[in-house]
Amino acid sequence: MAPDRVANALDNLITQIVPSRGPNEGQDSWQARYNLSHELVRAIINSPPDPDILSDVDRAADSIKRKLIQSNPSHALRFSDLYSRLLAVPVLKSKWAILYLLYALADSPDPKAPPPPLSIIQPSSSNYREAVARDAVKKRARARSKSIPLTRIEDDPMGEAKIEPSETAILRDLPFTLQGVSSTTLPFTREDMLKLPPSLPLPLVSILHTLAEPSLLYRRLDAFCQTPANGLLAQSLRSAISNELRSYLTLVATLEGQIRKALSLLDENAPRGGIGNTGVTLKRCVVWTREATMGLRLLSLIAEESENKKGGQIITLIHNFASSNGDPVVAAFAERLLGSFTRPWYGILRHWIYDGELSDPSLEFFVREQTDNEDTLRIKGNVWEDKYEIAQDMVPSIISQEFAQKIFLIGKSLNFIRHSCSDSLWVEDYSKAASKELRYGDTATVEVWIDEAYKTTMKRLMDLMETKFRLFVHLQALKDYILLGQGDFIALLMESLAANLDRPSGSQYRHTLTAQLEHAIRGSNAQYDSPEVLRRLDARMLQLSHGDIGWDCFTLEYKIDAPVDVVVTEWGNRQYLKVFNFLWRIKRVEFVLLSTWRECMTGSRRVLQSPNPAVVQTWKSTRGVLAEMIHFVGQLQYYILFEVIESSWGELQKRIRKEDCTLDDVIEAHRRYLEDITHKGLLGPKLRHHPSDNKERTTYLDQLSEILRFMLHYRDTIVGLYSWTSAEYTRRQEAELRNITRRDDDGGLASSDDVPSEFPALQERLRQLGTSFRTRLQILLGDLAYQPDVDMRFLGVAMNFNDVYQPARRKSKTASTASAAAAAAASTNTAKP
Amino acid sequence: MPKPDKPDKHAAASQAVDILEEIAAMLNCHMDRRMLSTCISLIEQGVHPESLVQVIKELREIADETRREQQEAAIANSRR
Repeated sequence: MAPDRVANALDNLITQIVPSRGPNEGQDSWQARYNLSHELVRAIINSPPDPDILSDVDRAADSIKRKLIQSNPSHALRFSDLYSRLLAVPVLKSKWAILYLLYALADSPDPKAPPPPLSIIQPSSSNYREAVARDAVKKRARARSKSIPLTRIEDDPMGEAKIEPSETAILRDLPFTLQGVSSTTLPFTREDMLKLPPSLPLPLVSILHTLAEPSLLYRRLDAFCQTPANGLLAQSLRSAISNELRSYLTLVATLEGQIRKALSLLDENAPRGGIGNTGVTLKRCVVWTREATMGLRLLSLIAEESENKKGGQIITLIHNFASSNGDPVVAAFAERLLGSFTRPWYGILRHWIYDGELSDPSLEFFVREQTDNEDTLRIKGNVWEDKYEIAQDMVPSIISQEFAQKIFLIGKSLNFIRHSCSDSLWVEDYSKAASKELRYGDTATVEVWIDEAYKTTMKRLMDLMETKFRLFVHLQALKDYILLGQGDFIALLMESLAANLDRPSGSQYRHTLTAQLEHAIRGSNAQYDSPEVLRRLDARMLQLSHGDIGWDCFTLEYKIDAPVDVVVTEWGNRQYLKVFNFLWRIKRVEFVLLSTWRECMTGSRRVLQSPNPAVVQTWKSTRGVLAEMIHFVGQLQYYILFEVIESSWGELQKRIRKEDCTLDDVIEAHRRYLEDITHKGLLGPKLRHHPSDNKERTTYLDQLSEILRFMLHYRDTIVGLYSWTSAEYTRRQEAELRNITRRDDDGGLASSDDVPSEFPALQERLRQLGTSFRTRLQILLGDLAYQPDVDMRFLGVAMNFNDVYQPARRKSKTASTASAAAAAAASTNTAKP
Repeated sequence: MPKPDKPDKHAAASQAVDILEEIAAMLNCHMDRRMLSTCISLIEQGVHPESLVQVIKELREIADETRREQQEAAIANSRR
């Protein structure tokens, strides 16, 4: 029985595939063909099959799926669906074999297509539909050959006349689809995939493609709104988007009403189900949803891009759409979105500029609390600079950079007033009085309000600084005491400390220093200064190496505490200390030189008179060098105190007394002030000429220290000379006395000449020190003469106004850069001996 | 065979053919429903699919050739 059925089936197969007898074909040729086919078939069937093939249903299905994934992923999905349904069907025994058969026959040439010589394109119904949906270019190419649509329709297993499902059915299900809900005709197979019925004609498919877009976008956005947000702004974005989605749903609802109404009026007998007359068609739906689709598209773009952005960056993103998109619809849409979306951001802003508190739990504002400071000392030391910072990338584009700076300053100042100046009462009053609702949209008003807030806070802060914390008084005091502005006080202090400080640093005691300081204050005009200032003044010893004398380690200190320390920072204190030490050294040298001069002058009337012309000559030249030194020190002091400090002070005053001066401006002005002083006051660490010139170039500070050291040595030698001369004097006196008393005695006069004299050594040393002082001074003058700074050049001129010195110019300066190194080497060589 | 069972089985069979037809369409096998059911019944009878594939391919070749011949003949006729 079975072989019979096989033979029958094979017969069927042959007749189905091999064409029947043609109109002008002989009976015999057809018969021959038929027989040939039969024989062939029988031969193949009877030959033993390939044993390699495994009769495994999953294997066949897998290979089909793999093939489909390569060519068309959506088909692969559909196939899995079909496959599972097939497995559920009970009737077939060898499913794997059928699947294998289909797999083996896949992509075989279409037997019904016109044979190759006549036709170039061989469309088949299913891949044609595919290709059209994907590729418009191919579509055009195919449309050119007109015969093809006809063949296609013939091929279509369903036929053209009956569209399954009908347009009315689709229309009925459309509202569900637009809301992202699966329906029978248009099921959502996956999160982001809508399955169209496979049996629809091409135009309908393209319309449904258009309608599928808003549906899929809606689904995605809906899912996005459900995801948890990290941060207030992201939350608000979700809420704004779901608001927009709600209005989209309203549109869908209206559409649904229209569809229902139209479907109820449907006339079954009219062509195409009478759908053309009701006024609602799929095409109309496309038109009605077009604008909403654009909105959804934009929303989904925003949602996607906001994934890895936060806070101000999202605002910037949306604001870019609002401000720089050419499409007015898009711009208006984004603008609308911004209005509701930015509310939490403005809330943070409001809190910041009216309360001075940063309430930003998820770090979305552009002001951030600095957290990476591990040493608490530094935080404590500079609340103003280190507590908050601006995160540049978080500044949204709705405010300008300059404005962001302003906002930052307002909040910072309020915070500072509240926490560091302990004036929270005022802040609270202010926030109650001034607080306003800030909203996106009216940028101009917001700016005006912020400007207002800025002015008020800055004024208040400066007021506090000036009256409560007496910033300017402190600055004045620093200048008077640390920068030696209060001359009588410094002179008195030095005089009373001089004897003490000549001793080594180990024997300096704090109580003596403070006692002398107290004495100096009482004895000078400083006593009229406010006790608030004097309380902060302190004298102490620096921690210096063992063996120094008191002069080197003595220092005056002016204690600054919070919140003024934001202006006079640690760095500022160091600079003050540096300047003080330098000035103190100059002052000391001046003091020493002047006292020596005084001694010499008084001494020259009596003890220094000598009959020896060599001694007289030495004293004369010594006095000359001494005068030179005094002149030098005087000029230097004058320059630093008046040209540098006073003028910088004037500048500082001008800057900080300005009308709209902020604390930042004060800090900056003060920094500039100190920098000016250290730079112009020859304390700068800058190298003398070209920074790249030479490493061994010394700074002005080094040069000056050397000169000052020479002066001290010179003075020591003068003291030696003085004591020698006075000893000589007394010996002469005694000799004279002896001569008078022993006039009668003989001899004894020669003994005085035999005493070994240290005079030549002293004379030599004085001469040597004098010349090296002069050389150093000339080098210094040479350097000063080529300074870019006018004031410093002027110092050189003042020191050498009558051209008594020859400013020594270094050779390397004039030489070209090529010979500079050689010249420098030469100069060092000559300098060595 | 009991009578009431038959339409049920028939429906199942036609469902299976439906599914297979769709798969065939996806794979571009170019088999219509009739041919597909013939093939299914052949395989159900125990014909090895490999052989069947060969059969179909051979037959299609013959058909192709025949058609070309017919066409040439038709062209020759029309020219005449």
